[in-house]
Amino acid sequence: MLYVVLFFTFFSLFLYVLLGGADFGAGIVELFSSRNNRKLTRDTIYQVMGPIWEANHIWLIILIVILWIAFPAYFNIIIIYLHVPLTLVLLGITIRGVAFIFRHYDAVVDASQIWYNRLFRIGSLITPVFLGMSFGTLVSGKIILTTDYSEIGFADIFIFPWLNTFTLLTGLFYAALCAFLASTLLIGETTGEVRKIYSRKSAVFTISLVLIGGAVLTYGYFTEMVFVKDFLNNPFSLIAIALSAILLIPLWQAIKKQYSMRTRILAGLQVLLVIFAAVNTHFPNLIITDTSEVDLLAGAAPDSVIRVLGISLIIGGAIILPGLFHLMRSFNMINPKKES
Amino acid sequence: MENLDYARLQMAFTLGFHIIFACIGMVMPFFMVVSHKKWLNTRKPVYLDLTKAWQKGVAIFFVTGAVSGTALSFELGMLWPEFMKHAGPVIGMPFSLEGAAFFVEAIALGFYLYGWKRLPETFHWITGIIIGISGVASGILVVSANAWMNAPAGFDVVNGEFINIDPVAAFFNEAWFTQALHMTLAAFAATGFAVAGIHAFQILRNKNPELHKEAFKIAIFFGAVAAILQPLSGDLSAKDVAVRQPVKLAAMEAHYETEKGAPLFIGGIVDEDKKEVSHKIEIPGALSFLAFGDFDAEVKGLNEFPEDELPPVAIVHYAFQLMVGIGTLLMLAALIFFISLRKRGWWDNKKFWWLFAVLSPLGFIAVEAGWVVTEVGRQPWIVYNVMRTKDAVTPMPGLVYSFYMYVVVYLALAVTVTWLMNRQIKALNNSTE
Ligand code: HDD
Ligand code: HEM
Ligand code: HEM
Repeated sequence: MLYVVLFFTFFSLFLYVLLGGADFGAGIVELFSSRNNRKLTRDTIYQVMGPIWEANHIWLIILIVILWIAFPAYFNIIIIYLHVPLTLVLLGITIRGVAFIFRHYDAVVDASQIWYNRLFRIGSLITPVFLGMSFGTLVSGKIILTTDYSEIGFADIFIFPWLNTFTLLTGLFYAALCAFLASTLLIGETTGEVRKIYSRKSAVFTISLVLIGGAVLTYGYFTEMVFVKDFLNNPFSLIAIALSAILLIPLWQAIKKQYSMRTRILAGLQVLLVIFAAVNTHFPNLIITDTSEVDLLAGAAPDSVIRVLGISLIIGGAIILPGLFHLMRSFNMINPKKES
Repeated sequence: MENLDYARLQMAFTLGFHIIFACIGMVMPFFMVVSHKKWLNTRKPVYLDLTKAWQKGVAIFFVTGAVSGTALSFELGMLWPEFMKHAGPVIGMPFSLEGAAFFVEAIALGFYLYGWKRLPETFHWITGIIIGISGVASGILVVSANAWMNAPAGFDVVNGEFINIDPVAAFFNEAWFTQALHMTLAAFAATGFAVAGIHAFQILRNKNPELHKEAFKIAIFFGAVAAILQPLSGDLSAKDVAVRQPVKLAAMEAHYETEKGAPLFIGGIVDEDKKEVSHKIEIPGALSFLAFGDFDAEVKGLNEFPEDELPPVAIVHYAFQLMVGIGTLLMLAALIFFISLRKRGWWDNKKFWWLFAVLSPLGFIAVEAGWVVTEVGRQPWIVYNVMRTKDAVTPMPGLVYSFYMYVVVYLALAVTVTWLMNRQIKALNNSTE
């Protein structure tokens, strides 16, 4: 059962990074669109994302719930030491979430739209940055575990571990990943000239993604970060990254030819490989502090709990996944419009 | 104030905010599908207009509920890490099932909102029903987790560790049924009266009255049935509390001395230092009867319990009085509504509509008051008789800032949502006029 739970943990992580990411990315793409294209981007996003919009973000809730039920000791560290960046993530989620719905459901369309749009776009950019920073912090080796909170300063415990060059880079990396996902997704929803615009954007974001990814590794390497060193010494992680680099070639070809379904699958695969590479490096010690490593499984809940959770997840999954799939199909998320 | 106080305030504020959106998210879909069904049966355009307007309301409230709920699922851990570390695995089951229920709800909502003219009509309508059912299911599930905090079950504590965990027993704790029943009814009563009141007000202003009368009928019907059942379910809850949390009952009633044949206090000003209640009306024996079904039963007073295990008495007592007072009012109003179905003339009387317009916010005030009774009445325990609130709080200082951040953001959100609803109503008034 533990494996079932682990599977769902990473499955939700993957889907959140992918679907939630595409959703954040949509706002980022909008932010970086020319004035003329913004309206178009906005409407296209609404068409393709709208129906599954809510569902995208529930993966985060599922992930959190699994962590707290099954891996309470591990979750405890995350939730204490990442309190500040996670609060900022929540703030971002709140602002962009309500702005998204307001702009599409306000009964009157007037100047307030400007505000909804602005909040949506800015929220869409900062949320993944803080989320990426939180991910980065976990493996940065900068968290200071302590019981004596007055001895070490507030900023040393609760600010600097997540606010530094490395985490900023990981934050930007995730934001770039989101933008890449969204623009790749949008290719399939448009035709003709407009499609070219998104193809170009997708290419730009792919390049940024590769550059920032390189920067993360380079910086980590030169500052002798445990995680990065282990990453570079881990054959499977390297293979995964190499594979994702190789897959960029068919992805670019597909983008050029504008095959939308293939681009979507390839983009999803990229995400899968990146997550695999990162998680695999240090599994199961998924938190690296300044002096030690914390094992995800060490403080796991007792078997009785894992069993019930595993069963709930299987039943829940059996109900939800077909429903979600059907929803995506009905509204062209999977199986988009054919070439026209 | 200390960090702990800000943590409690923040929890109370964010939960108090969430519950409003959660109630509406649970109940509005039912109004929507009834109106939708009427449209399918009669093809009268009013019903279509109404369904579409309510659907926008559902979407807006759903998202506000969802983001505030997402914040809560982080907050439980961020504010009370020790609680979550120990209790998380025990009460995980309702939360994981709740996650599944949300998912079903979100998927159904996707189908419903985007399915007009694209899906077969009946299937489309059914997805609306699924939204409502899964909303209510998620409400019941969270409340079960809360009930566990009042009536811990399904684990043993050895040296501060929770062992022998049985998530199923934890789920079916002693309080879950009465609390879940009472909360579900409360959601229907509060939302029903709130929505009906808004439409009653529009009828008074003579804006598109046909449409608003249809809307009123649908909303008040749900509200009135729930409001009549509410005091019965409340009585069950009170009997339950009397056995499981005698201190809470004593605080609710501001009852200091242990007595046989204890009187019920109505009103009254609590003096926590002198431990007395002045200016009250006493009904002899009534408390014993309400709590145990026997006019002579012994009711434990607050003085029986150690000083450091007492909740703040005054707040709990006032909140309880407020809830019960409103409960009585809403029940009477529900009866008036049912009588009015026989006496059509009442619907032409402005007083009738004024009554419901004025009652509009009361259901939600009762919901908030009820939660204050439950939660403040449990203090100083976060898990009754097992873990104290002060031992569960996060070690991170500076919670005062996050508290004010939430206050500012949520107040801004509340203002915006109210303003949006106002715009929806204006648009609706112009739709079929
Ligand atoms: C529309 C809202 C509403 C109305 C009219 C009432 N209640 Fe209530 N009450 C709630 C909304 C509520 C609530 C907000 O939903 C609570 C908080 C926790 C819960 O499960 O329900 C609650 C809790 C609650 C509790 C505490 C349960 C516990 O701590 O475990 C008791 C004893 C009562 N109620 C009793 C009553 C009585 C005797 C009422 C008589 C009219 C009444 N309530 C009307
Ligand atoms: C008695 C109290 C509560 C009730 C009755 C309740 C009920 C609900 C309902 C019905 C929804 C769906 C929102 C909608 O349809 O508009 C919702 C959303 C949510 N609630 Fe609560 N809730 C309560 C407290 C909590 C608590 C304490 C938590 C956190 C642990 C929580 C977490 C959530 C989450 C994560 C969502 C969003 C799910 C989504 O995206 O649909 N809720 N709640
Ligand atoms: C949505 C309706 C709810 C409201 C309005 C509400 C209200 C409150 C209030 C007023 C407090 C502060 C009590 C005090 O410190 O004096 C509180 C505390 C708390 N509530 Fe609730 N509550 C709700 C539902 C829930 C649910 C469903 C859960 C959990 C599953 C929950 C978990 C907690 C926790 C962990 C605390 C902090 C510890 C404590 O003060 O005991 N609440 N809530």
